[in-house]
Amino acid sequence: MIDLGLNKLSSIIGDMSNIATDSVIKAIDAYKEDSQKATKEIFESSAKLRFLQDEVSELTIELIARFQPVATDLRYIKSCMEISYGFSRLGRYAYDIIDAVDIFGPLKLCNKSSVILMSETVLDMMNTGVSALRLLDNSLTNKIYEKENVVDILYRKSLRDFAKIVNLNNEYPDNRCNISSTLILKYLERISDHACYIADCVNYIKTGQSSPRR
Amino acid sequence: MDNILKTYMGGKKIDNLPSNNVPSPKNKSSILSKNEGIKLSISSLNAWFGTKHALKNIDIDFKENCITALIGPSGCGKTTLLRCINRMHEMTPGASVKGQIILDDLDIYNKGSDPVIVKRRMGMVFQKPNPFPTMSIYDNVASGLKLNGVKDKSLIKDIVQESLQGAGLWDEVKNDLNKPGISISGGQQQRLCIARALAMQPEILLMDEPTSALDPIASSKIEELISDLKEHLTVIIVTHNMQQAARVSDHTAFMYLGELVEYGPTAQIFKNPQKDLTERYISGKFG
Repeated sequence: MIDLGLNKLSSIIGDMSNIATDSVIKAIDAYKEDSQKATKEIFESSAKLRFLQDEVSELTIELIARFQPVATDLRYIKSCMEISYGFSRLGRYAYDIIDAVDIFGPLKLCNKSSVILMSETVLDMMNTGVSALRLLDNSLTNKIYEKENVVDILYRKSLRDFAKIVNLNNEYPDNRCNISSTLILKYLERISDHACYIADCVNYIKTGQSSPRR
Repeated sequence: MDNILKTYMGGKKIDNLPSNNVPSPKNKSSILSKNEGIKLSISSLNAWFGTKHALKNIDIDFKENCITALIGPSGCGKTTLLRCINRMHEMTPGASVKGQIILDDLDIYNKGSDPVIVKRRMGMVFQKPNPFPTMSIYDNVASGLKLNGVKDKSLIKDIVQESLQGAGLWDEVKNDLNKPGISISGGQQQRLCIARALAMQPEILLMDEPTSALDPIASSKIEELISDLKEHLTVIIVTHNMQQAARVSDHTAFMYLGELVEYGPTAQIFKNPQKDLTERYISGKFG
């Protein structure tokens, strides 16, 4: 009987992964194109992810209370709670990215190369994390961890570059590009962390071993 | 419960019961000295009912002052293992045992070991409460002492009270000690059986599905009692209730078709079993 509940849980997590990845992709596209067309949709998706996270939370508690799951089932349920939180955060970062575009835009004249470079790596990590989760394949998780290091290096390098620009041009009339890029880079860096947390969960489900705190 | 147990353990000690002085094999003693904290060590244990091979090469060490749960589907050998530990198995016609069971420094299947002495060091509680039907509550607890030649009435009285306190039953029956043992509820009868076992001051308590015939409240009291008793005893419990094993035991052993499949800390067995067979059993996929 617990299988019915686990299937439902898996289905909700699948829906959340689709919504979360779609939102992040749309938010990055909006930044690239300096467009606010997707703003409403991303806001709604973020709210929906929060709602689904609550649904996962209720369902996991019910499954634990009614079926007292053990072993892989128990580890899967525990991980679903963490993963659903992760997807709701991805939705929130997508929301924050488009919010930055909205507040600081228009950003057409900005040099977006650092953000775009980092977004490609982060989207790849996110998609690999979702694939690992769908297939429960922990052989994919190392690819995510390796890319996290790249993201961290890119993030710090970009911040130092922006700091130089600000220092050199202290009378520069418009720092919107630097501020918006810094914020979005931070959101992308957080998304990459959450991709790692998903990878951690897949490892935990498969092996029972917890990953060290990041 | 703690105070009750302190009373129990701090109370009268039976000194005049016979003891077994048969030395254990030297090699096993040396092994045991390296395994401090192990109360009972089983090596290469095999048991048969006629030609049916019921236990196959069981190797397991039970730690002192720990609760170990034996789990597994019906017929996997859990009860047979308990019955081998206290030498009840050999009483079944056609049954036989081969292997070694060491209790502290006593090889219990050594030719010189007295089964009566072995049984005295191990209390046993069965699935269904089985107080002696014609005896009072008091006599149920006192019977083992009297059978073992204890004649000091004052000592018997003290031990009966301490045993009933140890079993968490004293407050409920102290004014009804002369009533028949079968006049109390099923849960109370089971605790009476535990008190009867405690009266002999065993070192190991063997429990064969002790709560399977009880309602949830009575089961809960027995589980609480088991947890408290481990401070002074080593407990080995057979249970079909996975949640009970998870709740009360420190270590869990999973058996299947007469073999010990997996043995480890209970948290590990239930969160991250190493064997697929264990995982499938505890998840309810078979059994």
